[in-house]
Amino acid sequence: MATKRKAAKRSKSAKKRGASSQVLARRAVSIATNEQKSAKQRVAALAEAPLAAFGNDKDLAAVLSVLRNKDEPIAVRLGALESLQAASFSADVFAPYRGDYLATLRKVVDDPDPELRQRALGVLMRDKDGFAQQKLLDGLKNPDKALVPPEKALQLLSYDVHAEAYSVARDIVKTPPNDEARREALRLLAADASSAPMFEKLLRDKKELREIRQISASALNALNPEKLQKHAREILLDRSDYDDIKATSLTALAQFGDDESLGKDKALLESVDRLSAGKAPSKYKQSARRFLKKYDR
Amino acid sequence: MDVELQINNSISPAARFISWAPSPCRIRVTDPTGTSTPTVRIRVAGVSAAGGGAVIFWAGAAGGFSNSLDLIVPVNGTSVPFFTLGRFGQPSVNNGDVKIEARVGSTLVGSVPVMVRIRKNANALTAGERNRFVAAFAQLNNQGLGRFVDFRDMHTAAGDLEAHAGPGFLPWHRAYLLDLERELQAIDPSVALPYWRFDQGGPNLFTLDFMGVPDSLGTVHFSNTNPFQFWKTDGVQGINRRPLNGWNPNTQPGPNVLTEAQTLALGAQFSAFRTMQGNPHGTAHTRWGGSISSIATAAKDPLFFLLHCNVDRLWAKWQRQNGRFNPAQAASYDNNPGNRIGHNLADTMWPWNGLTGGQRPPTAPGGTLALSPFVSAPGLKPQVQSTLDYQGALSATSRMGFDYDDVQF
Amino acid sequence: MQKAVRASPMSETQFAALVDAIAADPHQREELPALLREDHSLYDERGAAAIVRMRGWVLLAIARFGVSDAALIFLLEELDTGTDAYLLAAAARALRSYPRPTGALAPFVMRALARISYRDEPVLLETYGEYAVSSASTSPVRELLTTLAWLGPNARGILRELERFRGQSGGLSRKLRIDVDRTVHAIRSGDETGKPGTDSCCATPPDGVRSVSSWPLNCRGDAEPVESITLQDDKGELITFNEFFKGQPSIVVFFYTRCDNPMKCSLTVTKLARVQKMLEAQGFGDRIHTSAITYDPAFDLPARLRIYGEDRGVRMNAHHRMLRAVDDNDALRRHFELGVNFIGSLVNRHRIEAYVLDIGGRVATCFERIHWDEQQVVTRAIELLNETQS
Repeated sequence: MATKRKAAKRSKSAKKRGASSQVLARRAVSIATNEQKSAKQRVAALAEAPLAAFGNDKDLAAVLSVLRNKDEPIAVRLGALESLQAASFSADVFAPYRGDYLATLRKVVDDPDPELRQRALGVLMRDKDGFAQQKLLDGLKNPDKALVPPEKALQLLSYDVHAEAYSVARDIVKTPPNDEARREALRLLAADASSAPMFEKLLRDKKELREIRQISASALNALNPEKLQKHAREILLDRSDYDDIKATSLTALAQFGDDESLGKDKALLESVDRLSAGKAPSKYKQSARRFLKKYDR
Repeated sequence: MDVELQINNSISPAARFISWAPSPCRIRVTDPTGTSTPTVRIRVAGVSAAGGGAVIFWAGAAGGFSNSLDLIVPVNGTSVPFFTLGRFGQPSVNNGDVKIEARVGSTLVGSVPVMVRIRKNANALTAGERNRFVAAFAQLNNQGLGRFVDFRDMHTAAGDLEAHAGPGFLPWHRAYLLDLERELQAIDPSVALPYWRFDQGGPNLFTLDFMGVPDSLGTVHFSNTNPFQFWKTDGVQGINRRPLNGWNPNTQPGPNVLTEAQTLALGAQFSAFRTMQGNPHGTAHTRWGGSISSIATAAKDPLFFLLHCNVDRLWAKWQRQNGRFNPAQAASYDNNPGNRIGHNLADTMWPWNGLTGGQRPPTAPGGTLALSPFVSAPGLKPQVQSTLDYQGALSATSRMGFDYDDVQF
Repeated sequence: MQKAVRASPMSETQFAALVDAIAADPHQREELPALLREDHSLYDERGAAAIVRMRGWVLLAIARFGVSDAALIFLLEELDTGTDAYLLAAAARALRSYPRPTGALAPFVMRALARISYRDEPVLLETYGEYAVSSASTSPVRELLTTLAWLGPNARGILRELERFRGQSGGLSRKLRIDVDRTVHAIRSGDETGKPGTDSCCATPPDGVRSVSSWPLNCRGDAEPVESITLQDDKGELITFNEFFKGQPSIVVFFYTRCDNPMKCSLTVTKLARVQKMLEAQGFGDRIHTSAITYDPAFDLPARLRIYGEDRGVRMNAHHRMLRAVDDNDALRRHFELGVNFIGSLVNRHRIEAYVLDIGGRVATCFERIHWDEQQVVTRAIELLNETQS
């Protein structure tokens, strides 16, 4: 404890003396890479390092080494990853180290720790990395090779519309390993023009989960906006359909519909009137009232 | 007798938006019926709705600010200038919730509703403010078809160097946010971009009705009435955003993100202050997993704009604290010889300058910076230096028409 | 109409072995450049990342036995507009096997260097499909610098730009700065064997490398069978191919809105907007049609086309349209011999291509792979207009 107080005091006075951010970075990295320090101290040091001062090859190599080292505590390795990821937002300073960083991330995608695997794959996929794509697709085709759960793999693959994920996503919609995977597969397929008929069907299926119908509405809105407007209207007119999908439909009409034709649609306005006065949750009723107000009802 | 009040020197309702910085106004007599003298004394004052904005006045040149202003106005129609500005600490909540009234004695001779339109803490918005902002933003996105595509395309790997590779980081993002905000205001003029205080919990921000609630996978969920449920970027539906390390953004500040006080204490020189690009800016981005945590995908998440609004607010606050509005002052900006193009004071900024090829990216999506109905700054093709004096502290023509709720003029 | 989805018959491992076999056979290796055509059936139904691996392997195979003029255009294409680290590294390495280093190559290499320098990453070029997990391997920047050094004094035309590149803050590690210094030294020293070439803004392929093909009047392909296919424009209006393209020369580019290479579709459509301005300025705005046709008609609906065009300054009216094929997209593809392939309906790879059609709607000139010059395209269209009047 006394050592900690001394360290904190030293740190404070260093700042008071106006120590440059590079000196602070060097000190922080020194703590972060010191295996004798506690994980908590090391993680805090990594977070403190003024990252724009990362102009030192040796420091960066040290932090990358921590990330790679399976013997390091996972909290420290994740802290190293976060520190590097934050540094990547200073493009001019980080550019010389980008290659090392990506190579290290590729190295840890099959790490024993699932959180580290997931995060490394996430960073790589947001960079549209072919290596990460290959690993994720392999894992979906062969669950023994999966590095992350299928729903996560699909979510990460959605960062690159050119990743060949559509056919495996369609398979998962047909035979889902779990509900989340099905949902993520559908979200991914919202960019696939040939899936529009499927989304129409799901949207109108009252037995479907609310969330799936909501995703279907949004997908159809992009793939075939006219169809979505038509279905949204029919859903609102359908007294037997659920209030939540009615609320989604109403939002779609309010946001993206043609005001002039909506204002003239008596049957629609009457059904929205019913929604505003009925037993729906107050949020939906407020939404209905806002819609009606637009047309002076 | 009737008078015409011009706010921001315009009779257009589109110009009836003011901030903490003085807005030039004019008053003139349009119908002198009932007057027999060549001039008339008119008092202008603000009348606020309950909970609404409040305005004060300034004659200009000399004198201080006051709750009302007496003006001697010729009855022949010649206009008389004056200034109005929002009373600091009392922004509007709704469009037109404060009126500027002109009276001769006790007789009302003219009135215009105005809005003290201010960028606020997103966590403190009323339900109405939140709903209008979300509706406008979702419409700008227009399920992936709207103008938002340009804002997404501006912040990809192609434009990375323009936006991040030098001291122009803060000016570039200021222009970027202003461009977006003006597009939002073209949809709903009552909207101002709110900011996310990443050094505080946001219980009203991360809700189904606002920025959404992520599940354990990081898929963000919205209520059935939230227009963000239709959000789409790159042809892909939805938003991925996951708080890391057990962090609860509703109740906790971003872990290890520099606080406002720490950020403002980085140094009085821009060269020191701009390290905030790493922390708190980069750190705020990377407290999350998901789109917002990488430069190339960050703009896919609407939260990104609220994050950057706070970054800009911190810069604004630092500027006010240290008097750093003048680009000629070395402490205001790092104008180094080795700066990359687009990061020197006199450089125009991509993409608004339309320059492509060579050291610039191959294309320039979105064209020139969106216009304002009542201010000309920072121009269609802003230079780095024209983003500094955003309040018009040094030159009234530099005023850009936005202000933060906690950064005074 | 969507292509029938079928599984690709050949695994990537088999593909690599095939390429190696062709390369090893002196009677067959001339066929390697044909494997770089985007529409080759080997690339059907492949993801974009797989195609990168496959194309890179072909480039490296070509490099082992010398780059012909037929192959050179593919290398230059990659250097001109590529953004993938692996392909740029492969193209840069392959270029060093070209038997006639000239100054005309330097601008391509320099442009690629400027483009990739902030996105450098280690790549492995020795084994098919392997990705670097350490920085000990090469990278596109290293390969490009090595290629500039190989060009030596031939690269003097870009020396100033390279020195500016060296001097910019950020972007380069200490090691790479040393490599840049070595490259600068290699360019400065030694005798000049060829023409030094121009700076990188004005890259044109060396003599003998074709990126523009023209056909005289009697050799142009007939408009059939595409003349009656239905197209839909940015306003949703339906029009047949003949209705829009027959009767006056036209300039046609191909693109799709989901293209993620800013050097390709986004730039192509931006340039089309410049072409429109040039036509207008020269008084041909109504006499020469322009069009951007999407490769991806199922996704690129009229609203999407319109916004994409608007955002890039494209003018849209009766003479200038963004178009999608409503039926028989395959016929369009065959007619133009488009350099594109798909996975499902999504483009997996395409080349840059711009066409000038004569008043019969026949392809008169094709500009492919290397970014075309707007004035050259406009001039060609005006020539065709004059051809009809003479």
